[in-house]
Amino acid sequence: MRLVLLHARASTLELLRYPTFSVPTLAFPALFFLLFVAPRSDAEADPTLLLASFTGFAVLGVSFFQFGVGIAAERESPWEQFVRTLPIRVRVRFAARVLSATLFGVVSAVLVAAAALVTTDVRMTTLRWIALGIALLIGALPFAFLGIALGYWASPRSALPIANVLYLMLAFLGALWTTPRHLPGSVSAISPLVPTRQFGNVLWGAAGGHVWRPRDWFLLGVWTIVFAALGAWGYRRDEGRRYR
Amino acid sequence: MIAAALRAVTKHFGETVALDQVDIGIEAGDTIALLGPNGAGKTTALAVLLGLRRPDEGWAEIFGVDPRQARARQAVGVTPQEAGFPPTLRVREIVDLVRAHFPCPAPTDELIERFRLETIARRQAGGLSGGERRRLSVALAFAGDPAAIFLDEPTAGLDVESRRSVWSEIDRYSADGGTVLLTTHYLEEAERLAARIVLLARGRVVAEGSPTELTSQARASGLEGAFLALTEAAT
Repeated sequence: MRLVLLHARASTLELLRYPTFSVPTLAFPALFFLLFVAPRSDAEADPTLLLASFTGFAVLGVSFFQFGVGIAAERESPWEQFVRTLPIRVRVRFAARVLSATLFGVVSAVLVAAAALVTTDVRMTTLRWIALGIALLIGALPFAFLGIALGYWASPRSALPIANVLYLMLAFLGALWTTPRHLPGSVSAISPLVPTRQFGNVLWGAAGGHVWRPRDWFLLGVWTIVFAALGAWGYRRDEGRRYR
Repeated sequence: MIAAALRAVTKHFGETVALDQVDIGIEAGDTIALLGPNGAGKTTALAVLLGLRRPDEGWAEIFGVDPRQARARQAVGVTPQEAGFPPTLRVREIVDLVRAHFPCPAPTDELIERFRLETIARRQAGGLSGGERRRLSVALAFAGDPAAIFLDEPTAGLDVESRRSVWSEIDRYSADGGTVLLTTHYLEEAERLAARIVLLARGRVVAEGSPTELTSQARASGLEGAFLALTEAAT
């Protein structure tokens, strides 16, 4: 447990000391919200649901970029090779990564919430804020593991484009840029099949004050197991560089 | 007691055979130098020994445990051939992070003093010079106060003074009963530090023994002559 905290602290410190990385990564979803959503939210959709969507989008971004792209880039580094010689288990390192990404995810989501509170007519009770926080933290787990899996399966150069495509596609298909009611017809047929949609469902449920459907949590749990297994498999098969 | 061993290890990379039926056993308390020309398989041997790479055949062990298990690696401190660190972390932070992995680590201040890191302790690793990075990297092998250390070219790129101070740290460690496995291209270093030399060429162990034994086996006048004669005979 102590090692989880120490590794999480080290990677968080490391990223924070690159303000040119951390500031844009953290602020992008809030900026997106301010530019494209806030100006027309009240007219077209419930700002509370949009706020929930964009906090989900924020957390999704952190999972893909901090985990996926970050891990892929570090994988070949001498430091990573060294850390692998230390007596530390795979799951401790995974837990540390999840913890530090959680921290970044929370900050990014809080910025979205702040942007929404300032520019739109969001009204939520304390209880709903808490529910939204819980839904974000737990619901983001499968994406954290998907990011980790991407990091170990993709090469350093391919990780960024793959992360971009996955991130934008999943956000769009899961209706995290809008609300499910505003999805185009063709997309709404596919939308229930992607994990981001279940993520969205629990977020909108929390923000809108609806009862969570067990089915959504169950599916998120299944995705978590699948992506975690994929990530662990990727880590084990990875031996650093593979050139022919 | 055997501190670390490779047992009939074979490792291919595509068509290339990096290790071919390699057997190396290191008694606890021994100091062994793994020598060989570039591409002989020294670094791959260390990688298999540390569980970083899976052998195609054979197995590795550290104090009887598979090195792919984290607890086996508690007994080993490592200096990899390439020294690299998270660029924005400070030297002291890195030392502390590495120490935290071991049950009875060496005190941070003592490590910083022994490896002459005082002046750079507060600097971020990204700004270190090659020699400073190497000194930090060597210090990290000792950070956990482990039973064995594996050093891959520990003094490559160091100036004379730093090299000698690393040597005296290795001496001190081995006088305290520590097990040392090191690779190097400086034969003077091998002769100075190692009781036994394992000579690799083209992924095979071609000779093994004390520096004097190797010299007389090759009927050479010194270790360098022996090195050239024995590796040439193997190719």
